[in-house]
Amino acid sequence: MKYKVIFQPSGRRGEIEEGKTLREAAIELGVGIEQVCGGNKVCGKCKVQIQEGYFAKFDVHSSMNNLSPIGKEELRLLNEEEVKNNYRLACAARVQGDVLVFVPEESRVGGQIVRKAAGEINIELDPAVRKYYVELPPPTLEDPEGDYERLMRALKEQHGLEGLSMDYHALRALPLALREGKWKVTVTVWNDREIIGVEPGYNDRTLGIAFDVGTTTVVGYLTDINTGKVIAIDSMMNPQVSFGEDVMARITYAMEHEDGLQKMHEAIIGGINKIISNLCNKAQVGVEEISEIVLVGNTAMHHIYLNIYPEYLGVSPFTPAVHRSLDIKARDLNIKAAPGANVHVLPIEAGFVGADNMGVVVALEPEKKDDIWLIIDIGTNGEIVLGNKDKLLSTSCATGPAFEGAQITHGMRAAPGAIERVRIDPETKEPRYKVIGKEEWSDEVKSEARGICGSGIIEVVAEMFKAGIIKNSGVFNTKLDTPRIRKGENGQPEYVLAWADETAIGKDITVTQSDVRAVQLAKGALYTGCKILMKRYGIDAVDKVILAGAFGSYIDKEASMVIGMFPDCDLDKVVAVGNAAGDGARIALLNRRKREEANAVARRIKYIELTVDPDFQTEFMQAMYFPHMKDKFPHIQHILDKIPK
Amino acid sequence: MTEDKKQLLEEIRKAVIEFDEDRVKELANKWIELGYDANEAIFEGLAAGMEVVGDLFAKNEYFVPEVLMCADALYAGLDILRPHIKAEDKTETKGVVVIGTVEGDVHDIGKNLVKLMFEVAGFEVHDLGKDVPLEKFVEEQLKTDADLVCLSAMMTTTMPGMKKVIEMLRERNPNVKIMIGGAPVSEKTVEMYGADATGKDAASALEEAIKMVASLREMKRKKEI
Repeated sequence: MKYKVIFQPSGRRGEIEEGKTLREAAIELGVGIEQVCGGNKVCGKCKVQIQEGYFAKFDVHSSMNNLSPIGKEELRLLNEEEVKNNYRLACAARVQGDVLVFVPEESRVGGQIVRKAAGEINIELDPAVRKYYVELPPPTLEDPEGDYERLMRALKEQHGLEGLSMDYHALRALPLALREGKWKVTVTVWNDREIIGVEPGYNDRTLGIAFDVGTTTVVGYLTDINTGKVIAIDSMMNPQVSFGEDVMARITYAMEHEDGLQKMHEAIIGGINKIISNLCNKAQVGVEEISEIVLVGNTAMHHIYLNIYPEYLGVSPFTPAVHRSLDIKARDLNIKAAPGANVHVLPIEAGFVGADNMGVVVALEPEKKDDIWLIIDIGTNGEIVLGNKDKLLSTSCATGPAFEGAQITHGMRAAPGAIERVRIDPETKEPRYKVIGKEEWSDEVKSEARGICGSGIIEVVAEMFKAGIIKNSGVFNTKLDTPRIRKGENGQPEYVLAWADETAIGKDITVTQSDVRAVQLAKGALYTGCKILMKRYGIDAVDKVILAGAFGSYIDKEASMVIGMFPDCDLDKVVAVGNAAGDGARIALLNRRKREEANAVARRIKYIELTVDPDFQTEFMQAMYFPHMKDKFPHIQHILDKIPK
Repeated sequence: MTEDKKQLLEEIRKAVIEFDEDRVKELANKWIELGYDANEAIFEGLAAGMEVVGDLFAKNEYFVPEVLMCADALYAGLDILRPHIKAEDKTETKGVVVIGTVEGDVHDIGKNLVKLMFEVAGFEVHDLGKDVPLEKFVEEQLKTDADLVCLSAMMTTTMPGMKKVIEMLRERNPNVKIMIGGAPVSEKTVEMYGADATGKDAASALEEAIKMVASLREMKRKKEI
C-alpha cells in the first residue's frame, strides 16, 4: 500500500510505501533534512512538524494517526511543547497514511537562497518617528505641575511641538525616565502627533524595521531611521507555507478550519518576531529600541497578518476589508518592539494586487513618468502595473507555482543543487547546465543536481524551444534522433536534462510534456495580463518593462522573452529592479510624505479584472504559444529565425 | 452511404481536428448544397472530429489552445448545419443539462469545453454562465427538469460552494445526477461533497455524463412501469 506524502515548504510530494520512515520518504523525494546521526534516532536534528486536517490543494487528509505512534526515543529528543505541536523525528515516524510534513528552517539542509539584499535607495529623510531631546526644569513646591504637562511645556519651548498626545505605555514610563535622566530626556514622537516613548538622557539613535512579507519569503531590514542605512537583514521562509503554498490555499485554509486564520496569523507574527529578535541580536540592540515597523505584503498576507478574515478576497468580486494604509500599535498585533511603537501597513489596491505592488509603486514612481512602463512582479501570483503620469492600470493573474519550481516534475526551490542555468546545443540537443552552489558548469564538473528551480525552468524551456525540441505549440518533436528525448513512465515524451549518474538524487532529471504545459499556463496568464492592460490603455507597445521582485532579478531576460512571458520590447529596456516591495517598505519607513502619496496613488490606480474581459479566453489561448500565436517579437526575431524547423 | 458523402464526412472530421475553421465552413456549406442530412454531418463529422481532439488532449498532444481552436471550428460548422436539422431529429436529445461556474468564481474556459462536448453529443444545454448564485442551479434544474447538473470551480476558495448546491439539489430532487469539475476537483472531492462524478477532462466528463443519464432514464422507465 502506498500513501501520499507531501513535504513543505519545498512542495515535493509523492507516493510512499507504507512503513517507510519520513526520512526515507524525504530521500526518495529529494528533500534535504538534517541527519547528523544518519537516522539512528540519536541527534534529534531531523525534527519535522505534521500538519493536520484536509488540504484541498493536495487532496489529502493529513493526520498524526497516519504515522506510527511516537516512540520513547522521540519522547526523549522532543520537548513537551514540540510533542504538543505535532513534532516528530523524521527518522522514527513511519508512514501509515497520507501526511503533510513541514520541515522547519533548522531541520533543512542548505537553506534557500534568499535573493533579497537591500539595494541603495535615494530618499529624502522625513521619517514618521523622530527623537527630541529636552531639558525640563525640575518641579518645586512653587511649580508642582505634573510630569506630562511639564514635558509638553518644554517640548513647545524647545522644539515648537504642540498638542501632542501621549501613548499610555510611554506615560507609564515617564515619571521614572524623567528622574533617572535628571530631568533630561529624549522623547520619541510619531507623526508630530503622539509621544510614543521616553528615555532618560540623550539618545538620538532611532531604529525601525521594514518588512516585506511575501507568500513564500519574509524579509526584515533593520534600518537606522536617521541615516536611512540598513544595519542588518534577516529573512526566513514564511512559516505559513505549511498551511498552503499560494494565497488561494491559505485563504481556503482559513475558510475550512475554524481556527485557521488564528493559526496562520500566529505563525506569521511568530516569524516576524523571530526576525526582529535575530536582527536585534545581529546589531546588538535591544528590541525596545525599535520605534516603528512598516509591513508590506500582498492582500492575502496583509489580511492574515492583521488577523482579518480573508475569505472575501478569494471569491469574486475579490473585495479587501480596507484599501487605505493603517497604523496599529505593535503591541496590539503582539509584535515585539518598543511598547509604544506603531506598525504602518501600506495601502492596498484591489483584489490580489496588494501592498506588495504598492511597494513597487512607492519605490519606482511610475505615476510621475512620461514613458509608459510595464511593471511585472512575478511570483505565485503575477502582479502587473501599466501606465505613466496620465493613467495607471493594474491587474493580477494566477501564474501558479510553476515559476517557483512547484508542479514541475523535478522542480525545487532556489537552493543548492538546483539547476538555474541551461544551454542546449541546437545541433546535438546536448545540454550544459549550472547548479546553485557551484561555479562550474555541468561539462566541467559533476553537477550533483537535485532538481530545477524557477529560473532554470524558464531557461530550459526557452532552450528546448530554441533547439527545436518543442514546437511553438509546446508539443514535443518526437522525431528527433537523440536518447535525450524519450517516452516517460506515463507514455508522454520527456527531455533528459541530467542523467542519473550526474545527479545527487540517483535519478534522471527530466523536463516532461506536462512540465512544458505548466509553464505555458503560467507564462500565458502573465502575458494575457500584460496584453489586456495594454489594450485597455490603448497601446500596442511599452517603453520599458520592469521586472520587480526577487525572482525577476534572477531570470534571464532573453529567455523569458523567447518563451513570451511578456510582450516584445527592446531587451535593453527590460530591467530588473530586485526586491522593489522591500524598497517600498524601507522608503515608507524613512519618508512619511511617501506614505501619503501611496494612499493617493492607490486610489488612482484602476484595477482591471482579467477574466471578465470579453477577449480573455482568446488572448489566453494565443498567449500559451511560444512566444505567442500571433503577436510579433521584432526584438528577438533573429533568435526565432534560427530555430531548426 | 456513397463514397462522396463518406469522403466529405472524413474531410469535415479532419478539418475539425486541424482546427481549420474556414475549411469546416466550406465543407458544411457543400454538405447542405448537396442536400445531405445535417444531423449526420454534426454527429459523424463534427462530433467525431471532436472525439479525436479529446483523445489528443488526454494524451497531452493537444493543449488548451488547440482544443479551443477546434471548438471554434466546430461551432462554425454547427452554425451552418443547425438550421437544417430535420424537425423529427430536434426532439431527440440525449438529456437535459444545466451547467455553470459557481458563485465567486469567474473562470469559465473549462466549463465552456465541457458544455461544447455536451452540445455536440446532442444534449440540451442550459448554460448559466459564471459566478452563478448557488440557488440559481436549483431553480434552473426544477424549471428545465434537467437530468444532469454540472458545477465548475477553478479556485479552492469557491469549491465549497459546490457542496452547498449539491445539498440543496439533493433535498429537492434526490434523483438528479450531479457532476463537478475544475482544477482543484478530484475523485475524493466527489466523495466528500456527495456528487456523482467528475471527469479529468471534457471528453471523459462527457463519457461519465452519458453513462449517468442512461442509468437515470432506466430508473425513470422502471418507475413508470
